[in-house]
Amino acid sequence: MAKAASQQQETLVKADGAIPRSIARIEISLYRTALNIKEQTGLEELAIAFWDEETSIQWSYNADRWFHAASTMKLAVLLGVFRQVTRGELSLDAPVHVRNKFTSIVERKPFMLEISRDADQEVYAQLGRTMSIKELAYYMITISSNFATNLLVDVLGVEVIQRALAELGITGVKILRGVEDQAAYDAGLNNEVTANGLLKLLRLISEGEAFDEKASKQMLEILLDQRLKGGIPAGLPAAARVAHKTGNISTVHHDAGIVYLENRKPYVLVILTQFPVATAKNTAVADVSRDIHDCLEGMTP
Amino acid sequence: MTDHKEKDKDREAEEQTGLKVVDAFDLDPEVRSLLRPHEMAEGKGGRQHRLPRYFYEVPSHERAREVRLTAHFGLNEFLLVDLKEAPRLREYPRYIPCAVRMLAFYLERLRETIGHTIHIAVNGGYRTPAHKLAVGTTPHMWGTAVDLYRIGSTILKDKESIEKYSKIIEDVSDDLWAMPYGHEIGKADDHIHADLGYITLVPREMSEDRAEAPQPRPRYAIEERRQGDRRTEPRPPAAEPEVPAPSR
Repeated sequence: MAKAASQQQETLVKADGAIPRSIARIEISLYRTALNIKEQTGLEELAIAFWDEETSIQWSYNADRWFHAASTMKLAVLLGVFRQVTRGELSLDAPVHVRNKFTSIVERKPFMLEISRDADQEVYAQLGRTMSIKELAYYMITISSNFATNLLVDVLGVEVIQRALAELGITGVKILRGVEDQAAYDAGLNNEVTANGLLKLLRLISEGEAFDEKASKQMLEILLDQRLKGGIPAGLPAAARVAHKTGNISTVHHDAGIVYLENRKPYVLVILTQFPVATAKNTAVADVSRDIHDCLEGMTP
Repeated sequence: MTDHKEKDKDREAEEQTGLKVVDAFDLDPEVRSLLRPHEMAEGKGGRQHRLPRYFYEVPSHERAREVRLTAHFGLNEFLLVDLKEAPRLREYPRYIPCAVRMLAFYLERLRETIGHTIHIAVNGGYRTPAHKLAVGTTPHMWGTAVDLYRIGSTILKDKESIEKYSKIIEDVSDDLWAMPYGHEIGKADDHIHADLGYITLVPREMSEDRAEAPQPRPRYAIEERRQGDRRTEPRPPAAEPEVPAPSR
């Protein structure tokens, strides 16, 4: 795959390393790359969206197709938190009771999370006690804690999260509920995202326009502490810093992030993949990340 | 010998309490409107219960941590709440119904029976009527209910452990009631709820001979009684200062 990407890059960049003559050529090349990866990794669906602040190039593939959001929905919850904080309606230091009991959006059925994932151990250790909003937001993003997410959704309410998205003009992210709501899943009621939706969300954070500069910076700091590095970062040089959020369930593997490389402005990249149940999670996200990085690196003067 | 030691501990704990008792009618209007002292609250089946009027005033977080209601229960354990409590009522001084002492007494007996530490959950002690979980009436609003999420090292999250300890709780005293296990409203599946019902406690120093007219003095201080001879009556209120005649 890396070799294929390298060969493709050669077709994109002029011999002297200058920016290629035609954006159209880049788009065609990236499109071919996307199709190759989709075919080689056996994906049912692939969507890509990126925007590069350095070159102002924005490109997307299948970017308005809706996917199950998996844990990328936590980006919307993060927005909801900082909307309330910015409005003075919530304090980051406010204590929240850590209780493993939630209510399904279907018939208000109560449910509990199966606390077996390593990701939730740090929150579960506080059962019966309190954690601050800030701590919960941190664990929700950095270790993708479902427990922290549902606690925050309870605090905010889904309506506030939806309002946060609407106020920022983000139409490609639909939030109906927290996570692990099996009754809702069985009823087909899921959180959904498009690549363009997540791209817009992350662009606003990157540009300091998610509510205000301070809130954007605080969100960015949390995202930069991401501990799950299997998606976009896996296709990048070790020195790259990525503010991102992954999303995985049995049939999807997503990653959406802001990539910081030395000596250039950041780029925002969203990669959404869906694969058959029988297929194991693959390296498609990392492969796309690598190819796009290689392409952009070749274009940077 | 052990009994004597335990009694000494209890006495020591009691003597250290030293909290001011206040008539909530005397509190500032905002706090009073949130605590709703002596108001009727409607519970299940339309049953009416009168909310508490006499509270301990807890001046600071440090003080809440220092005050022991019994040998093994600190006042702070009954004051732990999260953001579901009204922000004004999370600020110190905070107020907790005097009947919380009775709850602590029963919990101490329970602890002696079980022989393990009892952990009260956040929002599991006193909830004011302004607390978002205080729907209808719950004895939590009287300071006479407790939610336990852990006993010793056992996290109470399954039928077996909840039913086992609920039975022990009800065996400690007929005054205690434990909510049955279950997933429906009125049952509990991730903690044990135990309560003493709607008990209000009127400290012996307080006078109930007024409705809502402000009572100028005194706010009796429980520590004053403790520091003096316990067998004597509380000191009479200080005389009101004479109002000088207006000059003509």
